[in-house]
Amino acid sequence: MSPALQVPLLASGSHEFEAPSTEIFWQPLFGTEGALAITRPSILALISVVIVVGLLLAGTRRLSVVPGKGQMAVEGVYNLVRNTVARDIIGEHHFRRYIPLLFALFAFIYVNNLFGALPPFQYPTMGRIAFPIVLALLVYVVYHAVGISRKGVGGYLKGLVPSGLPAWIVPVVFLLEVVTYFVTRPVTLALRLFGNMFAGHIILVLFISGAEYMLIDGGLLLKVVSIPTFLMAFLMTLFELLVQFLQAYVFVLLSATYIADAYAEEH
Amino acid sequence: MTGDLAIVGYGLSAIGPGVGIGLIFAAYINGVARQPEARGMLQSIAILGFALAEALAIFGIALAFVFAGN
Amino acid sequence: MNLAATAVLATAESDPPGDPLYPILPHLGELIFGIIAFAIVLFVVAKKVVPRLEEVYAERRAAIEGGVEKAERAQEEAERTLAEYKQQLADAREEAGRIREEARAQGAQILEEMRQRAEAEAQRVTESAQRQIASERQQAALSLRTEVGGLATELASRIVGESLHDEARQSRVVDRFLEDLERGEHAGGAHAAARSGQDS
Repeated sequence: MSPALQVPLLASGSHEFEAPSTEIFWQPLFGTEGALAITRPSILALISVVIVVGLLLAGTRRLSVVPGKGQMAVEGVYNLVRNTVARDIIGEHHFRRYIPLLFALFAFIYVNNLFGALPPFQYPTMGRIAFPIVLALLVYVVYHAVGISRKGVGGYLKGLVPSGLPAWIVPVVFLLEVVTYFVTRPVTLALRLFGNMFAGHIILVLFISGAEYMLIDGGLLLKVVSIPTFLMAFLMTLFELLVQFLQAYVFVLLSATYIADAYAEEH
Repeated sequence: MTGDLAIVGYGLSAIGPGVGIGLIFAAYINGVARQPEARGMLQSIAILGFALAEALAIFGIALAFVFAGN
Repeated sequence: MNLAATAVLATAESDPPGDPLYPILPHLGELIFGIIAFAIVLFVVAKKVVPRLEEVYAERRAAIEGGVEKAERAQEEAERTLAEYKQQLADAREEAGRIREEARAQGAQILEEMRQRAEAEAQRVTESAQRQIASERQQAALSLRTEVGGLATELASRIVGESLHDEARQSRVVDRFLEDLERGEHAGGAHAAARSGQDS
């Protein structure tokens, strides 16, 4: 097979396909392009605030015992966070204090995740690590504050180790638990959300830009292959929709679990 | 062919969580098949386990970026 | 790949701290935006949304509890009414039984009365019949006496051949004869009759 035959079949255009890299996430829009640059995810975060606040206020403006359509939707989400997450995990006695935090977390994360698939935005805000870090830090502060205010610093640290362990293993377990409570938990909380959104967005961009490249710049064979690639991009978008919901849910679920742990006498 | 060895590392780190998540959901399906009424309780436990297993893969992708280009 | 190209250009120019090659390092501006954005959401949710929803929850629970209470009340009332009906039914049955018993007793009494009356009537009839018989006997005896007197006198006069027409003697004879006759009834009819025949 001569190169002359291969070329029109695979590539007709002149430029090479450039795989999407992490650079696609860096999109400064206004201002200085340094540490204080106003970036696309920053604007999206503000838009999400408008959307979340608007939807929640509109959905709860005229509340009645027999809910309307908007109220029904808000209540469905609220029920999920309030009953399935907060009440079942934190427990009947203390969960009411944390409903606002958990509900706000869920609404904010879910709307921002949805931006990854919604046409006018198409950029998952949580794919920028700064936002998950803010949220995880808040949860981190809250659950440590709860634990320390309930048991005192000494009691809180002592409560990390389950009672009844042999004496020689206690320091090891204590070290492990301290690392878990103070490092692993917040880091994984932030990284999980970030990593899922980030990787999902890259996958989508890869499929779509690859299919686009094959359709426009590719030869006949690649043009045909681009169709299943678009289909795959569509399927991945559906999968992303699932992941977007799941990650918002997991974030809230884990936050509730950590708060519940701080309430537990010993874990 | 050029590339980053760190990404290979991420691929390796994803094997364990992949197997783990599979086991978790297999157990979850088994549990629901045996006791459909326990679905609600099992669901949150399964998702919790899934999130914990997934954390390892997420560590992998984060560390891949940390070491990429070094 | 337009965006990527501009991004690459941007990084090349300023090399920001949020270096795209290190996506796990946070960008300061985005941190600030994130804090502000979430603070707003949290504030609104805590101050407006959750209180409103909790209020509806409380209202709904109250409504449901009220409904349950109402249902309980209704059931209670139904039970009470049922008990009342049952009581009434039992009362009615008792009443019916009582009335039946009474009627039976009354019937028996009436029967008894009737029987008594019939008995009395029968007795009365018997008595009057007896009385009548007695009076008739007396009457018969009386008429018999005069007739027997007449006959006997006749017979005697014929036998004697002498007239016994003297009134006073005649009646004295008859009376004596009858007294004898009555006495003779106790001793023996024939003997008395023979004696009276001798007397005459």
